[in-house]
Amino acid sequence: MHIMEGFLATPWWQLWFAVSIPAILYGIYKMNRLVKEKREILPLLAVAGAFIFVLSALKLPSVNGSCSHPTGTGIAAIIFGPAISAVLGTIVLLYQALFLAHGGLTTLGANVFSMGIVGPLVAYLIYKAGMRANLNFYAVVFLATAFGDWTTYLITTAELALAYPASDVLTLGGFLSSFKKFALIFAVTQAPLAIMEGAVSALLFKYVVNVKSDILVEMKVIEASVARKLRGTPA
Amino acid sequence: MTNILDDYALMSPLRHRNNWLKLAIVLFGLLAGISSTSPVTPLFIAFCMGFTTVALGRAPLKLYLKLLLAPIGFAVTGVLIIAFFSGSGQELLSFKLMGYPVSLRKDGLELALLVLSRSLSGMCCLYFLVLTTPMIELFAVLKATRLPESFIELSMLIYRYIFVFLGMAISIRYAQTVRLGYSSFSRSLRSLGMLGSTLFVRSWEQGDKLFLAMNSRCYDGKMTLFEVHRPVRVPELLLTSAYFLLTLALLYLTKNASIV
Repeated sequence: MHIMEGFLATPWWQLWFAVSIPAILYGIYKMNRLVKEKREILPLLAVAGAFIFVLSALKLPSVNGSCSHPTGTGIAAIIFGPAISAVLGTIVLLYQALFLAHGGLTTLGANVFSMGIVGPLVAYLIYKAGMRANLNFYAVVFLATAFGDWTTYLITTAELALAYPASDVLTLGGFLSSFKKFALIFAVTQAPLAIMEGAVSALLFKYVVNVKSDILVEMKVIEASVARKLRGTPA
Repeated sequence: MTNILDDYALMSPLRHRNNWLKLAIVLFGLLAGISSTSPVTPLFIAFCMGFTTVALGRAPLKLYLKLLLAPIGFAVTGVLIIAFFSGSGQELLSFKLMGYPVSLRKDGLELALLVLSRSLSGMCCLYFLVLTTPMIELFAVLKATRLPESFIELSMLIYRYIFVFLGMAISIRYAQTVRLGYSSFSRSLRSLGMLGSTLFVRSWEQGDKLFLAMNSRCYDGKMTLFEVHRPVRVPELLLTSAYFLLTLALLYLTKNASIV
């Protein structure tokens, strides 16, 4: 869920830029270190970014009449980790703003914060925790992506509610009341979408494991033993 | 769709104008639109930008309106929420929706109109940039700024590969559709998963090939671009300053105006 150009008034869009920029810089720092270590990673990151963009340009089948698209950042977070997802997410959001008029330049900071930073971070944490608890890999991917999406919607809702509190001045009560209203409307349209994206992501990983599980092992997404178990071949 | 936008930018006569001037116009429009307190200034900006894009930039009017219509749908939904849920002033309209009292208040409506006009002006500014400036020119501008080298490099590579994968995704989707891959809900979920994974595996292989190809051409983490030097001409400068001054004047005059 992108915040459109012009939806955030003066103190708010600068604020979200101020919050997002350090995280993006940290991501760039991490990425530079990774690229120095393994030079072949930069083209891989580039195709991954393009992959996210194309994935987000595909429309998901609609459940309730509204047609929406996957954010794709959950997948990126699982494969590359949250820091690099922030950088990829920023570039993808910039292109979405420029090519598809999804989001905008002044709201870029807010969108990056919800979709490029917090969402992937939550997805990544859930993924790591789930894998440590030895849960089924596909179930973990589903949960990580769906919860990552829901977190993104919650943050977006909070951003909108902060900018448009129910009362004239920003108070906790006004914020909460407006938060509830925005959340109610998003819940109808976006909550099922997150479940769908989780399902599609889990299916995506299933096919990737079947066809080319060595990619995932190489990127340290899953252990070699897990990959073997998932493919059904004995260790 | 993405293909088309850049194609129009490449054909636009405004392509051969100074990139910095165009960027300045867009950024000024965005900032003025967002800091305006009445819908008049953003609407003025939207009109100016739209006129420039269509009349001077030779973007087809039909395409332009179609482009504007898509995001307007999203904007209107958001604006309706603001219109009905915020504000505390005089009630203009109230009814009950599924047992909940819903009312349209004066200041809520005013805020909603303001946000809608800001959104419109922002989109017109963005489309002005997109329809008159090919991405490749923007990269040259980005290179001149002090952004981290790897970030720019990554964006250029991503830009290139978006088109490769978009073509791939469209043809796979077409092949799936003619084989009834999207005929029911569960089938379309499965097809989409397959499409995504094929795309992922193929893009991974493409990435390997790309690295090989660039390495054998002595890639050292820097791609150099040729930036054409285009001086700002006097009529352009005059037109731009007139636009800036008019917008600023409007911004000042409509500071306390209210239209509802």
